[in-house]
Amino acid sequence: MAAVKNKTMALKEAVATFVNDGDTVYYGGFQIMVPMAITHELIRQKKRGLKILNASTDAGGLDLLVGAGCVAEMHLAWAMNWYVKAPYAIRRAFQAGRVKRHDLSNFGATSALLAGYLGIPFIPVRGNIGSDMIKHNPRDLKVMEDPFSGEPIPVVRAWRADVAVIHAQRADWLGNVVAWGTRGVTDELGCMAAKRGVIVTAEEIVDPEAVRSDPDRTVVPYFKTLAVVHCPWGAHPSACRGYYGVDIRFCQYQGKYERSEHLLPIFLEQWVYGCEDHEAYIRKYIEKFGKEGLERLRPVLGFKPKMDVDYGYHDPAVWKGVPQYTDENIKA
Amino acid sequence: MFRNYKLHELMVVRCAKEIRDGEVVFAGVGLPLITVSFAMATHAPNMILLTEGGSIRATAPPGLAITVDDPALFCNGDAASGMLSTMAALQRGEVDVAFIGGAQIDRYGNVNSTGVGNWDEADTFTYFAGSGGANDMAASAKRVLAMMPQDPKKFVERVDYVTTPGPGKVNGFQTGKGWIPGGPTMVVSTMGVYKFDDNTREIYLAEYFPGLPVERIRANCSFDLKISPDLKQTPIPSEEELTTLRSIDPTGFYLD
Repeated sequence: MAAVKNKTMALKEAVATFVNDGDTVYYGGFQIMVPMAITHELIRQKKRGLKILNASTDAGGLDLLVGAGCVAEMHLAWAMNWYVKAPYAIRRAFQAGRVKRHDLSNFGATSALLAGYLGIPFIPVRGNIGSDMIKHNPRDLKVMEDPFSGEPIPVVRAWRADVAVIHAQRADWLGNVVAWGTRGVTDELGCMAAKRGVIVTAEEIVDPEAVRSDPDRTVVPYFKTLAVVHCPWGAHPSACRGYYGVDIRFCQYQGKYERSEHLLPIFLEQWVYGCEDHEAYIRKYIEKFGKEGLERLRPVLGFKPKMDVDYGYHDPAVWKGVPQYTDENIKA
Repeated sequence: MFRNYKLHELMVVRCAKEIRDGEVVFAGVGLPLITVSFAMATHAPNMILLTEGGSIRATAPPGLAITVDDPALFCNGDAASGMLSTMAALQRGEVDVAFIGGAQIDRYGNVNSTGVGNWDEADTFTYFAGSGGANDMAASAKRVLAMMPQDPKKFVERVDYVTTPGPGKVNGFQTGKGWIPGGPTMVVSTMGVYKFDDNTREIYLAEYFPGLPVERIRANCSFDLKISPDLKQTPIPSEEELTTLRSIDPTGFYLD
């Protein structure tokens, strides 16, 4: 169990310290909240042989990671840059035999993460059976006999990453991760199932007292967290709920580079290797597309909770000296 | 024939009519999200929307949801608790209607959203996104609607990769039994509406879109398409329907 200490650090240090070549990595987010700053840093540090676990991932983050040669295996249901309607680099890497794909359904992936979360070896799931996924992905999917009914039933292997990488709205310096508006889709499961722990980039770092005032929102408790990185725009060009929307034009721009094996290295050179860190990436963005490019991503706000809650507790000290309640029936 | 609508607009309007008011509906990314918003805004104001992103809501989102975990889906939503909760509701059998898309469909209703080519010879295989939730939706929803743009490369004799098994027998398993997916129950393309024969489990054309001759629909199908003896024309969408539909996607992100 990790000690209570300040876990904030620079992203460069977090990735260098906690991600090894060949690691199995839970890759956080879904169609939004893609851990893009971490993706870029994994590419900068030339991590190799990563095995990715994920349900579905969008905005081309995984496409860049595969295109840069960091990934050996991907276990997932769906990978895409939705804004160009293709996973171009993944497609090329699969065709060239550089990456192995282990496909299953979204709920198959969620169930695999749930089994990891529960610490059990496998779990039954409806679906997948009868499809070609079950033929091509024996690493994750099997059909067995239901020991109770005798019917054939698909099961998925538990997924437990070595390390989870996610982007969140907020975290405190202890490592408590706060999310609202969906509990991170599958991040809660993927992070808790991770063996070594979690690297989180967050839009804002807050004090633990703030988190403790509303613990329902904590999706990853501090003892699972390895590193907390303050990283505004850390999901760009995907969205961060309540902070910014999807940068559709940039996803399309990036997608045009993903599309060609000759252009992709230019994108990586300019936007990843050529930027010292995520701050430099955002500075480059402003230089090229202007501050108005970021301004355009501001969300429509005003959707604050209207239900004020109080976690108040009852103090049992009030019972001190209070005599037992009784009446005639009990006495008799 | 002059048309004041696009064929995929009619696909959405026609598909939305399969949602009955009050039903629990599971929608994936893309046109299904538009379809449910349209149904909510017209004949099904009391339906409940579930998405893979974990949104559960009884009212239309305040703006266009581009993704299934789009922030719009969680503004004034009824519950927001992740993929596990909504897809578990699906697996428990609580979803009435689900919508899936795909890149190919064959005469027995098998759907491919994984890729084309021979998967075992990787250099021939062109990956799309993958199953996502398509297989899960087809496995567990009571009715499964496939929305597919139609051309001869998409309506094929046999899909290259079975992502979602059709209503027939596939890979040695009888679908629709026990834990085995039942596949799509209806297909709405950009040319017509298809159903499945209860005995042969084969797809047949049940409705054609206005102004599209059956011969043209057959020509956009690379197998010998069966035609219903009770073939009907899909109603032309009304001005009011088109106005409502376009107001859901004012910039034409999905409808252009």
